[in-house]
Amino acid sequence: MKHHVLLLLALLAPAAIAPAKETAAKLPAASERFGSLAKAEEPSFRRHVVPLMSRLGCSGRECHGAFSGQGGFQLSLFGYDFEKDHKAITQDDNGGEAEVRVNAKEPLESLILTKGAMLTKHKGKERFKKDSWEYNLLAKWIQGGAKLDVEQTGDFDRLEVLPKEIVFNKPGEVVQLKVLAHWKDGTIEDVTQITRFRSNDDSVSAVSDTGKVENKGKGDTHVVAFYDNGVLPIPTMLAMSEFTAGKYPKVPTRTKVDELVVAKLRKAGIVPSEVCTDAEFLRRVHLDLTATPPTPHEVRAFLADKSPDKRAKKIDELMKTPGYAGWWTTLLCDFTGNNRQQLNTGGDLQLNDRFSRQWYDWIYKRVAENTPYDQLVAGIVLAKGRTRPDQNYEDYVKEMVGYFRKEDRTDFTERADMPYFWQRNNVRKAEEKSLAFAHTFLGVRIECAQCHKHPFDQWTQTDFKQFQAFFEPVSYGSTKKPGDDLSYGELTRAIQKEAGYEGKNDKNREKYRRILAERLREGKLVPIQEVYVRPPEKPRKLSEKEIEQKKKRDPNFNGRVITPKILGGEEVMLNEFPDPRKPLMEWLRGKDNPYFAASFVNRTWAAYFGRGIVEPADDMNLANPPSNRELMDYLAQGFVKSGFNIQWLHREILNSDTYQRSWKTTPSNALDEKNFSHALIRRLPAEVVFDSIAMATASTANFTKIAADLENRAIGPNASISGKARGGDNYTLGIFGKPARNMNCDCERTADPTLLQTIYTRNDPSFLQLVDSAKRDGSGWIDELRRAASPESSKNAAAKLEKYRKSRANLTEQRARREKDRLLAEKDRQKLEAQMREMDELIVRAQAELAGVPQAGKLDFDRAIEEVFFRTVSRPPTKDEFAKARQDLDAASDKVTGVRELLWAMLNTREFMVNH
Amino acid sequence: MKYLNCDGIPRRDFLRVGALAGMGLSLSNYLSLAGTGGVSGGKAKAAIFVRLGGGPSHMDTFDLKPGAPSTHRGEFNEIPTNVPGIRISEHLPKLAKCADKYAILRGVSHTLAAHELGSLYMGSGNRPIPSLSFPTYGAVISKELSGVPELPSFVAIPQQGANPTGYLGVEYGPFETGATPQPGKPMEIRGLSLKNGVTLEDVDRRQDLVKRYDTAFGDFAKEDKVLAGMDQFGQKAYQMMRSSKAREAFDLSRESMSISGLFGKDQFSQSCLLATRLVESGVRFITVNLGGWDTHSNNWATLKTRLCPQLDAGLSGLFLALEQKGMLDSTAVFVTGEFGRTPKINTSRGGRDHYPRAMFCLLAGGGMKGGQVIGESDAKGEGPKDRVITPDEVAATFYRTLGIDHRKEYHTPSGRPVMIVRYGEPIKELIG
Repeated sequence: MKHHVLLLLALLAPAAIAPAKETAAKLPAASERFGSLAKAEEPSFRRHVVPLMSRLGCSGRECHGAFSGQGGFQLSLFGYDFEKDHKAITQDDNGGEAEVRVNAKEPLESLILTKGAMLTKHKGKERFKKDSWEYNLLAKWIQGGAKLDVEQTGDFDRLEVLPKEIVFNKPGEVVQLKVLAHWKDGTIEDVTQITRFRSNDDSVSAVSDTGKVENKGKGDTHVVAFYDNGVLPIPTMLAMSEFTAGKYPKVPTRTKVDELVVAKLRKAGIVPSEVCTDAEFLRRVHLDLTATPPTPHEVRAFLADKSPDKRAKKIDELMKTPGYAGWWTTLLCDFTGNNRQQLNTGGDLQLNDRFSRQWYDWIYKRVAENTPYDQLVAGIVLAKGRTRPDQNYEDYVKEMVGYFRKEDRTDFTERADMPYFWQRNNVRKAEEKSLAFAHTFLGVRIECAQCHKHPFDQWTQTDFKQFQAFFEPVSYGSTKKPGDDLSYGELTRAIQKEAGYEGKNDKNREKYRRILAERLREGKLVPIQEVYVRPPEKPRKLSEKEIEQKKKRDPNFNGRVITPKILGGEEVMLNEFPDPRKPLMEWLRGKDNPYFAASFVNRTWAAYFGRGIVEPADDMNLANPPSNRELMDYLAQGFVKSGFNIQWLHREILNSDTYQRSWKTTPSNALDEKNFSHALIRRLPAEVVFDSIAMATASTANFTKIAADLENRAIGPNASISGKARGGDNYTLGIFGKPARNMNCDCERTADPTLLQTIYTRNDPSFLQLVDSAKRDGSGWIDELRRAASPESSKNAAAKLEKYRKSRANLTEQRARREKDRLLAEKDRQKLEAQMREMDELIVRAQAELAGVPQAGKLDFDRAIEEVFFRTVSRPPTKDEFAKARQDLDAASDKVTGVRELLWAMLNTREFMVNH
Repeated sequence: MKYLNCDGIPRRDFLRVGALAGMGLSLSNYLSLAGTGGVSGGKAKAAIFVRLGGGPSHMDTFDLKPGAPSTHRGEFNEIPTNVPGIRISEHLPKLAKCADKYAILRGVSHTLAAHELGSLYMGSGNRPIPSLSFPTYGAVISKELSGVPELPSFVAIPQQGANPTGYLGVEYGPFETGATPQPGKPMEIRGLSLKNGVTLEDVDRRQDLVKRYDTAFGDFAKEDKVLAGMDQFGQKAYQMMRSSKAREAFDLSRESMSISGLFGKDQFSQSCLLATRLVESGVRFITVNLGGWDTHSNNWATLKTRLCPQLDAGLSGLFLALEQKGMLDSTAVFVTGEFGRTPKINTSRGGRDHYPRAMFCLLAGGGMKGGQVIGESDAKGEGPKDRVITPDEVAATFYRTLGIDHRKEYHTPSGRPVMIVRYGEPIKELIG
C-alpha cells in the first residue's frame, strides 16, 4: 500500500500550537537515546520514566493506577504525582529500601525490570522485552540512582505535534505523528515514543501506541497526544465525497455562522441540505425557542406571509413571548441546579417550594428583560443573604419575611441577587461548591481531579484544591456579626418557647411549625438562615492539633495552607478580597476567559442542534475539542463583544441557514452528525411533550390560554415545585426524561426514546383522558366538538353565555352596593372578586364555544381534519392525508369519534414526538 | 463516536446499539456487552424487593431484647419459631411458622438517619454521595437480566420513588402500577389494560391507524436512529397491549385458591401475591411497598394492630407461595427498611425515632440458606455486637444470588467508571 501523506497546516491554529522553531536544538527519540544500555545517557524520572510507564499502561486504571493499586504496588493514575510515584517505586511501605521495586545494588534485578519484561511472574504480562530501549531506559535510571528530579526538570511548557492536521486522501492511509515536548528551560525533545495516544473515534482514525494514525473510514475526528501535563488533539479527516475544494458546489453563506460551518463542510466534502420549508421552520423555531407549538392561526398566517424577512421577524417576535422566557429559564434552572429537595433549608419553616419558585421567578424576570448573561450570573455567584453591608440580622429577616408574607408582599425578583444557588444541601462542602460552580458556569467537569490528575485535561489535584479554596469561606447557616442585636439562635429559642417546643420533645413541633407559618404569613420575624462569607483569615501556620484534626477529616491533608488559584489562571491573595467570589466573577467576565462565554454558547447551540460544538455540551476539556473551532471562537467572542447579550446569540444562530436546514439528507451528508450539515431529528424535551399534548387536546379557548399563560405549564414557575402542582414533577415528565437537577451533568436531561414513552401515548389513562376530554369541564377539544355536533348545542351555548353574563353583572352590582354602604370586609371582597374572575373565564369559554358552533349545529369536519394536523404537527394535511382522513371519518361510528381517533393517531406519530 | 472523558460512552451510542439490537424494555444491554464483569453462578432469575418505608423498629419485630432494661425493651414478647433457637416478635406468628424459609440479618448498620438518604443506601448498596446518583437494584437488575417481550422487566407496586435509575438513565426505569391490586380481581395496569370498552380489535385498528399516518419521514425513518428506535418501541408496546400473558399476570382472579389462600386480603398481601405472579410471567424485578413504619409516636399500637399483621400475612404468604410454585430457589427476596429505630424508647411520645446504627434485613430464596440468624446486635440493640454487617455487603449478596458480579464496572454518562457496589463482599453464610 502506498502511504501517501498529505500534511496541511491548520487554518487558524491557536498560538499554543504555532510552528516550532526548527532551529532550536532538539533531543532525539527515546529509542535512539536509550537503544544501548552501555551508551545510554541518564534518563529523567519526570521526562522519561513516568511518561514511559504511563505509555506502557503500568499506571492505567486496570493496573497499578487502580485506586487500591495492583499486587501491592500503586501508581498515581496516568502518572502525575511524581513524589508519590517515586516513593512507591523506591520505598516499601515502611519507608525502608529493602524489598523494593528498584534494587540499587543489583539494578537489573529490580522488580520493575524483571516484572515488566516478564522475567518473573507478572499478572500484567510482558510490557517490554529485555534489552529493549524501554528496558534500558528504566535500567539506566536505576543505575543512575533512581533519582527524583522534578525540581531539576523545571516546568513543562507545551506539546507540539506534527503534522498539525491530517487530511487523508484515501481510505487506509497511514501517517506517523511526531511529538515534541517543549520545556520551560528551552529543552525540546522528541517524545513520540513515550507519549500516550488516543483516537476520539476509532471508526474514522485509529492510532497505534507508537503514534501511527491509520484512516479507518470517512469523516473527521481527533487523535489526542498525552505527555506530562500536555494534551493536544490533532484533527484528522477523510473527505465524505469527492466534492471538496474546487469541486465543491456553490453553497450560499448568508451569515458568518454559515460561512464558518460551510468552510468546514467544504473541506470535509460534505454538501449541506437545503433550507427547510416555512412550515418546518415555524414549528422548529417555536419548539426550540419557546417550547410551545404555534397556534393553527399562526401557522396559517405565517404560511400566507409573503415578506422575505418573515423568518427573522418571527424570531424577534418569539423572543417577546412568555414561552421564550419560560423555556430558557427552565434550562437555566437546569444548569444552576434549582431542585426543591435540595432546598429544604428553611428548617421548620419548610420553604423549599417557595425558594424554588423564587429561584425560577428571579431568573425569569432577567431572561424576559434580556439582562446580560454575565450580570445574571453575577447576581447568583456573588449573592449573599444580606443585601446591604450595614444590614443587621433583624433587618435581614425583615427583608426576607417581606418576600413571603401574605399582604403587601415585596417582589423577590426585584432583589439584586439570588442566593439560593449556595443554599442547597448538595453544595454544603467547599469541594461540592467548586464542582457545581465549574459545571454550571464553566461547562467543565473537574471531579476527576478531585482524586487524581484529570486523565484528559490539564487539571491536577493541586489545581482542584487551589480552586476549591475560593469556596471555603462561603457558607449557609447562621452567623452573628457586629451590629446584630438579634441572632438566628435567639430568635429560634424565643419562638420555640412560645410554642412550648423544646427541641427533643417533638410533641409541640407541629404547634411550633404552625406558629412559624403563621408569623411568616403575618410578616413577623421568623428565624431564617443566610448565605454569608467568612472574613478572610490571615495566612498562618497551623498548630499541630489543627493539622491533626484536618488530617482526620482529610487523610491526604499535608499541612500546607492552600493559595486559591483560578482554573488555568493566576493565584489570588484572598486577604485582599473580603469575598473570594469577587475575583472569581471578574475572571468569568474577562474577555480572555476560555470557558464562561463558550460554555453558554455551546449549551445554547446544543439546545438548537441536539449536540454542542463541543459534545457533550458540558464537558469542555482539552481532549474533547470543538468540532469546528472557528465557529466556537466566533460565537464565544461575539457573545462577549455583544455584552453577553443572550438574544444576540439566539439571533445569530437562528437566523443562519445552518439552523434552518432540512432533515432531508444529501448523498454526502447522511452520515454527518457533528458538522451541522443537516437538521438532526430530536425527540421533544419532556416539558415540551407534556405541554404540546395539553395544547393539542385543549378546547379552542384553552389552547390560546395555555400558549400564553405559564402558570400550569411544565416550563412554568410551578414546574420545579412539589409533585401535586400542575406542570410540576410527575409521572409523565419523569418518563420523558425531565432532569431531577441532582447531578452536575447536563446528561440528566435525556431525549432518548423509551418503551414507557410509547406506551404512554398509545394507551396511558391520563393521556387518553386528555384526548377524550374525559374531564368534561369544557377544557377539551373533542368535548367541544361533541357539544357542537349536537343540534341543541348552538342554542345551549347561547343560553349558557347569557346566564354567565347575568351572574357577572350581579356580582359587579353586589360589590358596588356593598362598597357604597361600607359593608364589604376585605375577606369578602376577595371572595367576590374571585367569583367574578371565575365568571369571566366561563364567559370567555362560552363565547369561544358559541363561536365554534356552526349554525344549525353542523360541524365542518373538513375543517376539523385540518385542525387535527395543525394542532399536532403544525401544518396542513397533505392531499393524500386529507383524503385518508375523510375516509376514516366516514367509516367511524360517528364523525366526532373519527376526529378523536385521528387526533390520537397524529399524537402517536413520530412527526409529533420529534423536532425535525 | 467516542469521547475521551474517563473512557466515556456517549448516550447516543446507547440508543444506536439498542435500536439495532432490538432488545427488551431497556434500550440495550450495551454495557453488559462491553463491560468487564461476567455472570457467575447465581441461582435466582428474578428478585422481589420488599420495602418497609419509614424504617421498622428492629427491637419490636426481628431483634427483640427481652433482657434489656424497660427503657429499651418495649411492650412485645418473643415467641419461638419453627427453627430452634430463632425467636421473633409475638405479633409475627405466621412468619414464626416459616422461619426456615428466610434468613434474619441482625446488626446491619450504617449512619444515615434521614429517610431519603437511608432509602438510597439500602436501595442501592452504595452510600449516597452528592456528585453521583446511584441506580437502585431494580434498574441494575433490569439492565443485567433480559426479560420477556410482553412484560416490563422492572415493576413497582404501586410506586418506586424518586430517581430510581440514577446514572443509568430512564431506559431502566420501573413500570409503576400506580395502585395496589384488589383481592380476586384483575388489575388495571397503566398503559397496558384495555379500558372503557376498548377491545383487542380496537388495538389492532389503532396500530394500523398509526402506521397509515406516521409516514412523514418516508424511508429516512429506517435510517435515522431516533426514528427507528421509536418504531421498535411502537411494535413492542403493541405486543404488550395485545398479549394475554401481561393481562393474565396482573389478574389475581386467575390465581388458584391454594395460593391466594396463603395471603391476607390487605393491600400489602395482595401486592405480594401479585409479585409472585409477575415473577412467574417473566418480570425480573418487583418492588413491593409496605409503608408507615415511621413510628415516632404510638409505636406499639401501630405495630400490633396494623403493620405487623400485614407484614406477617403478606411476607409469609410470599415465601410459601414462592415455594409452592417451585420458585423460591429461583427468586431472591430482600426485605428492608431504610434504618432501624432507637432502642431507647422516646417516652414522651411512646415511640422510637430514626436509628441506622442497628437494623434488621431479611433475605430469602435464590438459593440463600434460610432458617438462620446472621450477625447480632448488642444487649440493648444499640449497635452490632461484634460483626458489623454493612448495606454494601447485603447488596453484594443480593446481586451474587442473581448471578450479577457486584464489582462489575459501569460508566456514568460523564464517562466515570463506577462499580455496581464498590465496597463489601457477599455474606458467606448465605451464599454457601
